[in-house]
Amino acid sequence: MSKIILNDVCKSWGKIEALNNINFECENGELLVLLGPSGCGKSTTLRLIAGLETLTSGTVEIGDRDVSNLPPVKRNISMVFQNYALFPHLNVGENILFGLKARKVPKNEQKKRLENAATLLGLADFIDRKPAQLSGGQRQRIALGRAIVAQVSVCLMDEPLSNLDAKLRQEMRQEIRSLQQRLKMTMIYVTHDQVEAMTIADKIILMKEGCIEQHGTPEDLYDRPATAFTGSFIGNPPMNILTPDDLILDGLPSFPTPLAGSTIRYLLGIRPENIEISGESGIEGLVVAIEYLGADTLIVCRSGEQLITLTVKGKTGVSVGDHLRLNWKPEHIHLFNGEDGRRIEGLAGGLIS
Amino acid sequence: MKLLEIGIGKTAETLGAWMLGLLWLLPVVFAFWSAFHPAEYSTNFELFAPLTTDNFVRAWSYAPFPRYLLNTFILVTLILAAQFVLCTLAAYGFARFEFFGKNVIFALVLLQLMIMPEILLVENYRTISKMGLLDTIPAIGLPYMASAFGIFLLRQSFKTIPKELVEAAQVEGVSAVGILWKVYVPLSRSTYIAYGLVSVSYHWNNFLWPLVITSSVNSRPLTVGLAIFGAPESGVDWSIITAATVMTMAPLLLAFILFQRQFVQSFMHSGIK
Repeated sequence: MSKIILNDVCKSWGKIEALNNINFECENGELLVLLGPSGCGKSTTLRLIAGLETLTSGTVEIGDRDVSNLPPVKRNISMVFQNYALFPHLNVGENILFGLKARKVPKNEQKKRLENAATLLGLADFIDRKPAQLSGGQRQRIALGRAIVAQVSVCLMDEPLSNLDAKLRQEMRQEIRSLQQRLKMTMIYVTHDQVEAMTIADKIILMKEGCIEQHGTPEDLYDRPATAFTGSFIGNPPMNILTPDDLILDGLPSFPTPLAGSTIRYLLGIRPENIEISGESGIEGLVVAIEYLGADTLIVCRSGEQLITLTVKGKTGVSVGDHLRLNWKPEHIHLFNGEDGRRIEGLAGGLIS
Repeated sequence: MKLLEIGIGKTAETLGAWMLGLLWLLPVVFAFWSAFHPAEYSTNFELFAPLTTDNFVRAWSYAPFPRYLLNTFILVTLILAAQFVLCTLAAYGFARFEFFGKNVIFALVLLQLMIMPEILLVENYRTISKMGLLDTIPAIGLPYMASAFGIFLLRQSFKTIPKELVEAAQVEGVSAVGILWKVYVPLSRSTYIAYGLVSVSYHWNNFLWPLVITSSVNSRPLTVGLAIFGAPESGVDWSIITAATVMTMAPLLLAFILFQRQFVQSFMHSGIK
């Protein structure tokens, strides 16, 4: 019904290439998150889908219809902007109904939809207020209300929560997720916050420098990162990406030199939560920093030139300056090609065992 | 020491402001004094001189002030309306759309700001005369309608409007004209108010061009009417002249006193000082 397909989408401004051959599909009723650091092209992708930017080449399909050359209004989408895009001179009700008025929806239908949306979002008591009189969370809800009353099945969100404080962000993202599921919307959601992405997404597309790094479920991205970049972007704290030097190779007796005799350079990825402190064997590390987070403690160790971060449950007796021995299980090792950062499939398991 | 310096600076500033204020106020005070007292007190001061409104009655009947007032009113309304329409459209073009030669054209518009309207007095007269509009109210307003100042001001104001609001309207299918009307204009309200004030007060007080282009009671605005009324040939009666002057400036003065706070606020909002 409202499947979104991008075929070979490219976008450039003069010589600057913002997007390079983007291909993906977003299934009907799916919440797809476009994730990546700033400047990676995620917002541009969203704006191309919305029709706010024109494609340099490629096609965009929404609901089996090529919309590449249609203006935003003909694409049957709603959009929520980062700064909510509320009109300061209109009150809450007028803001929510702005689109319906522009589309000349009958008055009584407008009223019905407004009431529904206002109740759904808990805005019923504020209908006559101006946006300036409301809190950040309430303004965010107005913006959501505008997307809801449009009653279209595709909703595009451009970093909708980045202006809210941490606690509110968590509440709102749950709210957005439950709304999306209740209304069965197909949603594309842009964020730079990997926690936000992991918690609400059905599928995540991680982007970097105008290209897709990986497209998959949150579990895929976490368990089997396709590139070293994905590994270091997903997870909090992120994966350690280490260059295997003698210190590390020697320190791990259970880690026979993989690729022995091979000439390719490779990188070793290990998640902080998979590193154990062992009494006798393992890599030697000097503790350089400790961050106590309550449930966990983050320990940063130095081994040779490299820093290794690990997390342990609860409080630890370790202090800065201590020498630790670090160890990890072979199945937790991710191997990446040192040249292009791609994952080396099967190599880790095969060679190590 | 530092504190003292700030204190001195502040005192000097306040003193200067008061001096300027008094200097400005002086003729106004004289006008009111003279207008409300019999002719013999117009040049000498006596605290308990008898008050009278006789001067107003005489001024009102000696010259067609009601007609002048109406002319001025029609004039400023006409100019303001035309300026709003023209400047809004031009500013919208400059602020939002890309077109060939945009910067050059905008520079030309700005160039217009540097030309004193008086320089063009003769040329404008010739143009108006060719159009057959001599001695009409539109003729007084015509040279001022495509105001460069207005275009510049509104363009600046339009440029500060967040792009997201425009995009939100675009997604909802609002047309380019609709976006101007529903997004740009309401959000620039304070600029419109500020510009409107400047325009109205300027054209209410404008003298030279109306004097040149008008020649009958039917088109003369208040300022010209007042000047003719006060001209030496008609004999100088200060009480009546000041009474007429007070009548001329009263509407503006009253409006300013009543809406002072809003005026200042809208100037602050729109960034004109």
